[in-house]
Amino acid sequence: MRKSKNAIVSYLIGLGALIFFIALPLVVDPEESYSVYFLFMCFLYVALAQGWNLVAGYAGQASFGQHAFFGTGAYITAIAWKAGWTGYFDPLGMLMSGAGAALLAVLIGIALLSKLRGDYFALGTLGLGEILRVITTQGGTLTGGPVGLLLPSSAYQSMRPYYFVALSVAVATFFSVLFLVKSRIGLALVAIREDEQAAAANGIHVLKYKILAFAVGALFTGLCGCLYAYYLFHIHPLGFFSLNWALLPVLMTVLGGIGTIAGPILGAFVLAGVFELANLWIPEVHPIFSGAFIIMVMLFMPQGIMSLGRRGGKSPVFEKLFRFKSMSSSS
Amino acid sequence: MNSMRKTRGHTREFWVIGLVTWIGVTLALACPAIGAVKKDKKEIVIGTNLPMTGILSMVGIEQRWAYEAAVSDVNKAGGIMVKEYGKKLPVRLIVADDESDPGKAAAAVERLIKVNKVDLLLGGFAAPFGVIPGCITAEKYKKYYHTSICLIPPWLEHKFQWSTLFFFDLGQACSVPYEIWNTIPKDQRPQKPALIMEDTFDGRAFAGIFRDLAKKYGYQFVLDEPWAVGARDYSAQIIKAKSLGVDAILIFGADADCITFVRQMKENDFSVKYMHGWKGTWAGEFYQALGKDADYILCDGFWSMDFPFPGARELGERYYDKFKKYSVSVGALYALCQILWQSIEKAGTLDSAKVRQAVLANEFQTMMGKVKYDKDGVAIFVSTGSQWWDGKQMTVYPFELTNYKFKLAPPWKDR
Repeated sequence: MRKSKNAIVSYLIGLGALIFFIALPLVVDPEESYSVYFLFMCFLYVALAQGWNLVAGYAGQASFGQHAFFGTGAYITAIAWKAGWTGYFDPLGMLMSGAGAALLAVLIGIALLSKLRGDYFALGTLGLGEILRVITTQGGTLTGGPVGLLLPSSAYQSMRPYYFVALSVAVATFFSVLFLVKSRIGLALVAIREDEQAAAANGIHVLKYKILAFAVGALFTGLCGCLYAYYLFHIHPLGFFSLNWALLPVLMTVLGGIGTIAGPILGAFVLAGVFELANLWIPEVHPIFSGAFIIMVMLFMPQGIMSLGRRGGKSPVFEKLFRFKSMSSSS
Repeated sequence: MNSMRKTRGHTREFWVIGLVTWIGVTLALACPAIGAVKKDKKEIVIGTNLPMTGILSMVGIEQRWAYEAAVSDVNKAGGIMVKEYGKKLPVRLIVADDESDPGKAAAAVERLIKVNKVDLLLGGFAAPFGVIPGCITAEKYKKYYHTSICLIPPWLEHKFQWSTLFFFDLGQACSVPYEIWNTIPKDQRPQKPALIMEDTFDGRAFAGIFRDLAKKYGYQFVLDEPWAVGARDYSAQIIKAKSLGVDAILIFGADADCITFVRQMKENDFSVKYMHGWKGTWAGEFYQALGKDADYILCDGFWSMDFPFPGARELGERYYDKFKKYSVSVGALYALCQILWQSIEKAGTLDSAKVRQAVLANEFQTMMGKVKYDKDGVAIFVSTGSQWWDGKQMTVYPFELTNYKFKLAPPWKDR
């Protein structure tokens, strides 16, 4: 009974948040308010984190190669635009970017996922991003070499389309992952995560499901790369194949709660918010503060912020708080 | 992966915490929190995105000092007269850390414009990392971005309407080593020079011009290779150069990489009589890291305290008093601020379009001499060449501004 009540409250709060996000850029001026840009970035982080969560949290394949798919999506967008095949905020360009990243994930997935597991797979994917960075740096006129590709920034008109497209991508990622984990595919992924050999013995095609999760994660990551390319108008190897794009989704997912639907959302918003506020209020020492915050969360909530609300599994912080509360009430 | 368990049964408190966090942060950012413009204008707020952390932080600190010195001096003089407000207004500088990252640079400028509500912007560092992303973001919101330290060709490619650029001409900068070589007696001139350029946007641009000019001046590189940013081991390139008998090196790279390169040259007992660096050898940290091993190495620069312009020597000495090292950049960045202060006064307003117009329309007296922008928004200054000697950058080029005679480096054992 309590579970269904909680579920209703969760849905209502989720719906309220969605209405709030849809209404915000209609109420405030996106060209004046920083919150629109901040949320645009949060939505990208949500999609990136959710994509990684599907691969690592549900399928159990920790990948450190999200920057490879992010950069691939961005470069496809830029190359297609420069070649005249697509234009600014072109749905075809976005589709190509997502599909291109997914295709790369399938090709790499066949090679890596069939041979490597655990740490070795993580290192393999890390190498993929580095290889692509070098390839794009040496890519001549196609990739613009180390200079990268300059897109016509005069195309920019408003922050509003960025915001709504990013929100749509984040929502689509959320429902896609939700749909997958609630379906038989999700069951298969969790079975693989828990025990690959047992899953295979029960007739699950392990490689197929792993590649599926890897490709879906890459699809959304590629879309994020595309959107960010439209925003920055200058795509180059150092910025788009930066390890930040691989590490941030990991950090956000782990911080929020890996292997949960809401964890990556919460992790993305909380971490982006902490970084942003630290940047604003203590600009001199913001990296120290942000780093200390991550350490504190990992120390006291090793299973992420989601563990705060876990029934029967309270975090040390909450246990201490509750103990203190009960002691003070008894006295 | 055993710890990766699906969580069930989240409590209401959790969701409330989550929602309050999201909305709290969003609303905090929606409000013009810091330095918001008030109806009664009391100060001019200038924002800048600088690399305070990350690979470019060494040069970012110098740039920040120069901006702060210019702000401090103009405020001591009572501020800037702004006709629109009928009074002199003090200047407040807000520095946003761009972490030497293009994406963070764009975010920093977004924050400066939308949260800090700055009136005008001063430029960041380096074309791909700070300046171009800053210019693009400023362009989106039609805010004037008054910048330097960016190669001219990629900046021109964007046809920016809301920024201007004050920098050296690449051809002139790349001709400096050849001009210096031509002053050396013929039998002592480099015979086997090497070109080692960072494999980046700026590095490739420099490399192309160096190659073209080498033909013009009658030199040929025996080794011409790009080098990777942040690679920790350059011994393969050093051994190759040693085996080819390289006697001069022209190098373009980041500070940390150049320091590593010189250290590894010494470890491999490889010395050249002439080594000239761009970007990575002029910050004071280069000498602090290498000490005497930095002697004989030449660096590029934007300015010299030996320049015969008002305030140049005093600024150089102030910088030395503060950091106990010399700088070849702070004067150019100070001059950038001088141009902006004069433009605001001439425009009589803080309106971005009018201030930019004033920059384009006038000639300015600065610590770099007279400055005049062209119709594309570019003003050019002369790139200098200096040699590290006992912790000081001794001006070698332009020849007419120095009496110092540069020295060819002996082998490591004889230094």
